[in-house]
Amino acid sequence: MKTTPYLSVENLSYRYPDGTLALRELSFELAEGDFVALIGQNGSGKTTASKCLNGLFKPTEGRVIVDGLDTRTTSITKMVVRVGYVFQNPDHQLFNSNVWDEIAYGPRNIQFSEEEVTERVEEAAKVVGLNASYFTEHPFFLPKGLRQRVAIASILALRPKVIIVDEPTTGQDVKQSLEIMDFLTYLHQERGHIIVIITHDMPIVSRYAKRIVLLGQGRKLADGPTSEVFAQPQILAETFVAPPQITQLAQATAELGFDPGTLRVNELLTQFEGLVA
Amino acid sequence: MKMNKTILGYVPEESPLYRIHPFVRVFFLLVVSLFPMLINAPEWNLAIIVLAIFLLKYSRVNLSTLKIYVPVSLSMGFLILLSHTVLGGIHPEFYVSFKLFGFPFYYERIVAAVDVYTRVLPMIFLTVLFLSTSRERDMLVAMRWAHVPFVVTYLVAMALRSVGMVIEDFSIVRQAEKARGFDPQGKSIAYKLRQFVMYIIPLFALALRRSDEFANAIVARGYSFTGLREVKRPDYILTQYRFRVRDGLLVAIISLSLVGVLIIRFGLGGLTLEGSLTLQWLELWLKGGAA
Amino acid sequence: MSIAMRFEDYSWRYSRTSEPALKNVNLEIAAGAVVGIIGPNGSGKTSLAYSMNGLIPNQYNGIRTGAVYVLGKEVTTIPQAQLCQQVGLVFSDPEAQFTAMTVEDEVIFGMENMGLTIAQIKQRLDWVVPLTEIEPLMDKPPYEVSGGQKQRVALASVLGMRPPIMVLDEPTSMLDPMGRQRVFEVLGKLKREYQSTIIVVEHSLENLVPLADLMILVYHGEVLLVAETEPFFEQLGYLMKHDVFPPGVLEFFYQLKVAGHYPAAWPLPQSVAAGAARLRALFEEKK
Repeated sequence: MKTTPYLSVENLSYRYPDGTLALRELSFELAEGDFVALIGQNGSGKTTASKCLNGLFKPTEGRVIVDGLDTRTTSITKMVVRVGYVFQNPDHQLFNSNVWDEIAYGPRNIQFSEEEVTERVEEAAKVVGLNASYFTEHPFFLPKGLRQRVAIASILALRPKVIIVDEPTTGQDVKQSLEIMDFLTYLHQERGHIIVIITHDMPIVSRYAKRIVLLGQGRKLADGPTSEVFAQPQILAETFVAPPQITQLAQATAELGFDPGTLRVNELLTQFEGLVA
Repeated sequence: MKMNKTILGYVPEESPLYRIHPFVRVFFLLVVSLFPMLINAPEWNLAIIVLAIFLLKYSRVNLSTLKIYVPVSLSMGFLILLSHTVLGGIHPEFYVSFKLFGFPFYYERIVAAVDVYTRVLPMIFLTVLFLSTSRERDMLVAMRWAHVPFVVTYLVAMALRSVGMVIEDFSIVRQAEKARGFDPQGKSIAYKLRQFVMYIIPLFALALRRSDEFANAIVARGYSFTGLREVKRPDYILTQYRFRVRDGLLVAIISLSLVGVLIIRFGLGGLTLEGSLTLQWLELWLKGGAA
Repeated sequence: MSIAMRFEDYSWRYSRTSEPALKNVNLEIAAGAVVGIIGPNGSGKTSLAYSMNGLIPNQYNGIRTGAVYVLGKEVTTIPQAQLCQQVGLVFSDPEAQFTAMTVEDEVIFGMENMGLTIAQIKQRLDWVVPLTEIEPLMDKPPYEVSGGQKQRVALASVLGMRPPIMVLDEPTSMLDPMGRQRVFEVLGKLKREYQSTIIVVEHSLENLVPLADLMILVYHGEVLLVAETEPFFEQLGYLMKHDVFPPGVLEFFYQLKVAGHYPAAWPLPQSVAAGAARLRALFEEKK
């Protein structure tokens, strides 16, 4: 079943002011039900590409169409209610003097009525698990985990269909990473958001992402279901990415009958039991 | 073309500029910036601008980047003119060149405006020249070569470095703000100003959180702050720059030109406004030769 | 074998917190060993690392009891300038440790502080720059290079001081998988060719485990488990209870063992290659 894409990137090229061509004729689509990991080596264009998706960067060539709107000609207020962007460092995106104003900042920019703003703030805070006692706190003084939640809530309050999260697990330990990713999965499954994560953490990708868009030197090298892309180590190596260990193990022992697209330990266990039985 | 980032822009990796020792470049900026303070004659100040543009071109700076300074220069000229004419008050003793919306434009005040403007402009051009052809490192090399104490150069470097970081943070914060629907278009100046104040919070937060680690990093690499009391330390970077005969000659030429300007100005009474071609031309144009 | 680092009943509490960051730590690290320190965020790993080069207590206020010995001498008796020639520390956020305008200045900063001669600096640059593969970056501002490059610059700037003990606090958190591998390749080279003592705080265990001789689990300020790498991971059940998430291969073989498919006497393999060999052997056996 092919659904119409919500967002489509068409032959997108992007050149920085210093002349560096960061993206070259990139094309891909995002549709309902997508949970995508944008991966590739440092400098492959992941962050640049993601910033083109909501009009933060305007294409040098090609175009990005979101919900029928061209990012080149659409005002930023129309874009941000469709595509939300969570920056890696919460400190870059918290600039209000209390948590309530912080979350309300986006909706107020869109000039929603104050009742609507209140409703959105309360809902967003509830979704990320911030109770009302935090509303009067200064975001600056909250611990990092909470600051990140405030940052996500401030994007959720705009109710964008697509949520892009830049390196959600960097600087987190594994347990914290799993909590964040479980939360994004909840947003995806229960609230119908299209999720795009930018990450280097392959175990996280194999565990959570349904689809991989693989970038190398500004070009798209592969695009497909996670297990299919991970099953092509030679293409991954082009952009200095290696599949997670368990996938590598399955690939190294494919001659024994293991599936080279294996993503998880328990999948490999099941295969093992099937093979030796 | 491979470009090297400078403080303000980009210079090609291959530029004749790199043959000149950084100290000479800093010396040039410092000395030639003095000229407009000594010179009144507008045509000579314009000549300094031409020299700056020539040097920009010689250094292979992309001249189209200069376009961003055009509005600044023009609006500054406009403000100077405005402050000297419309906002300059009523002076019955001055000659009225023309009237605009009932405001008298005095000849003397226009001349004063031209004088100020043509002295400010070369300083801007020289600074743009320096900043778009020099990297932070050039400044440090120049200072160290001139035996400025290491602590001072290090503090300058850290200041420059934090400016770099703040600029980077600033651009991300602005993106983050845009990503939440802030649209500066069509907003009032007061609104934008308030917005600017908002940036201070995240920039301050980022700086504060980093400063701890910054201090740790310095300590962890064995730097102990001894004040101006110099501990003998090697200077590896300086060894990569050679101060050649040519550099010495350039410093001599720059110094001599300063002496020359001083002599012409104060010894011979030249380079003044009164004797300048511009003034004669302005007289002809604004006074119709009535003087 | 000589002892590079020893903690004796060591405790540390920051003056602004009520709970100690480290409680009664006793540890011994042999010279030339590669040591992995793991544990969840906030468990005291960074405090442990900072205690090794004197940042704790010199740069922080708090209460310190017990002792830390670096190459036989108590940390607080060694002047800081001398200490950091013995223990090099690479911080988790490379951005925050850059103090210079170009990568080159950054790398030589520590060497200049040590008072090396120009010739010595040149010689060390010739060694450390290719080792960390930062040649093309030398005249760029360190904050403008990419995340992976930053971390290699940070590594080079400490390596250049040639400390016999290197402490790395999450050195690969910002890197792509190959970048990570490359950092660990450099560490491997240091271990083999220079017998450096290397202490790594790390969340991502894939690269660490095959290199580490000794593993340390820190949890809520306490050192819960210290063991050589193989026996350390034999206790995977215990580790997982303390929020340690093992690399896929280890976990897979551990599960096999628990399910009775893998002989209890066989060690758990620590790399993909070793794992593949074990699997093949296992299939042989089953036939």
